[in-house]
Amino acid sequence: MAKTVPLFRKALLALPFALLLFYGCEKEEKAADSIVHLNFDHTVGGLELKLNDTWYPSAAGHPFQVARLKYYASNFALENAAGERFELRQAHYRDVEQPETRTLEWQGVPPGEYTGISFVFGLDEAANVDGGLPNTTTNINMEWPLPGDQGYHYMKFEGRYDLNGAGVVKPFNLHTGATGNNQNYVRVNLPFHHPVKMSGGAWQICFSMDLNEWLQNPHTYDFETFGPMIMANQNAQQLLKENGASVFSLSTVEKE
Amino acid sequence: MKSKTAFIPAFAALLLAVACSHEPAPPPDDGWVYNPTPYHFQPPPFFPLLDVPPDNPMTIQGVQLGRMLYYDPVLHPEGALACASCHLQEISFTSGPAVLPHINLGWSTAFLWDGRVQGSLEEAMLFEVKDFFETDLARLEAHPDYPRLFYEAFGEKGITYERAARALAQFQRIMASGNSKYDQAIRQEPGVFLSDAEVNGYELFFSERGDCFHCHGGILFTDNDFHNNALDAEPEAGLGGVTGSPYDIGKFKTPTLRNIELTGPYMHDGRYATLEEVVDFYSEGLHASPTADPLMKAVPQGGKQLTAQEKSDLIAFLKTLTDTSYTTNPALASPF
Repeated sequence: MAKTVPLFRKALLALPFALLLFYGCEKEEKAADSIVHLNFDHTVGGLELKLNDTWYPSAAGHPFQVARLKYYASNFALENAAGERFELRQAHYRDVEQPETRTLEWQGVPPGEYTGISFVFGLDEAANVDGGLPNTTTNINMEWPLPGDQGYHYMKFEGRYDLNGAGVVKPFNLHTGATGNNQNYVRVNLPFHHPVKMSGGAWQICFSMDLNEWLQNPHTYDFETFGPMIMANQNAQQLLKENGASVFSLSTVEKE
Repeated sequence: MKSKTAFIPAFAALLLAVACSHEPAPPPDDGWVYNPTPYHFQPPPFFPLLDVPPDNPMTIQGVQLGRMLYYDPVLHPEGALACASCHLQEISFTSGPAVLPHINLGWSTAFLWDGRVQGSLEEAMLFEVKDFFETDLARLEAHPDYPRLFYEAFGEKGITYERAARALAQFQRIMASGNSKYDQAIRQEPGVFLSDAEVNGYELFFSERGDCFHCHGGILFTDNDFHNNALDAEPEAGLGGVTGSPYDIGKFKTPTLRNIELTGPYMHDGRYATLEEVVDFYSEGLHASPTADPLMKAVPQGGKQLTAQEKSDLIAFLKTLTDTSYTTNPALASPF
């Protein structure tokens, strides 16, 4: 008993320090929100995208140049193994001629172990209405004003193709959007290679769009078949929608 | 002697008073007052938000000064020309082929046909004052009114190129046109209806059949971008002469189609005198070239091959974009 009293006292004295240590460590380890930078990059069949000066081969046999690429991605969601989703309901405009549009900053991402990310290529029914996006000159220039339709272009992918490889050059305009009550947006699901535990700090997720995939997987898109005017051509829109499922891949998921 | 000794403490007291004062500095000359009144400008309905730089808020005094500088040949070194000499209000502030109309420039970030000036309206106006007019600031300083008017607009003594540009930019921001028959129709104003021909032209304009809208679309009827519209097989340099990029050869700024009825002749070199000639060009006169814009989808066919009825309807629609309330707006007229 004589030995236990001092031990008890020592324990009492040590308790506040232990508590301090406990809470101190807990605070240090307390999970924090993260900032995630979503970056949008582009290739053509594994080659670097260079506007105007490179002829790329296509599955349909017509080499093509890219002159312009503008599009919306929206409704981002990080997912975990339990199927829970953390969403960012926002439309991001990307124009390869405007480097400042490469990155969308996503703040306040809660701590968690995420297994993948998904988004909508284009705009969903809620956003894709006249006036559905903020009234900026950029969004106005993406309007889809066909009489009877509404909303915005999802994508303007424009360029030139060589008809027979002998210098007969024609323009193409892959303009996608909703027409005739067909929404035509694409749901993109990109599982991570392994679960990623985010708990504070800044992260980057880099998407890579392979423009060739619009023209070859699973369907071969031939510029000659559909011609340069496809906005009201649902057959062309449907084909591009189905090809759109594979155009994006993940190139990087890492802490910055 | 007595008066001298009395003067010293009085001067010191004055120095102390000035040094310790937190009040604004006294006006540099009698009767000069810096009391800027915010100018509450309301853009036309459906127009995008007007981008006003925080360091150049619109004020009654700033807009009025800009308006005076716009109409006064004082910016010209010999007093020979004003902005308004070439930008005539009755024809939507233009006067000829090389003169892009001054209309809705508050929503523009690229200026002049070849894009020589890009950035803010202030930067564009700085180009006009400093490089185009080569204004002699001493003329402004010697003027009986402008030193005071600059002080009343900006609260600092002295006239600079930057302040002149800021005043002109403020005036340019109120030069907004959005009250044409087309605007009144989309606002569903009582008694305003487009005719059948105008509706047909509207549908042609906003479909890929006519395909005007990709460059001239939206509420501003311009994308404020640069395109080679297949005008020539061997195009002029255009934007390429500014950027040095071979891919920009033949690109010129997309002009707005608002008030297009009033702003001929057309194209950067004024080669077409009438809207009929312009529509004929897009219908049958396109020329292939390496930088022809892919949006010019009908280049392989030489043009859209419109019917006579389609051409007529399209022109009828274009004329609904005429806004005479802009060309007669007294707030934009000469203050002299």
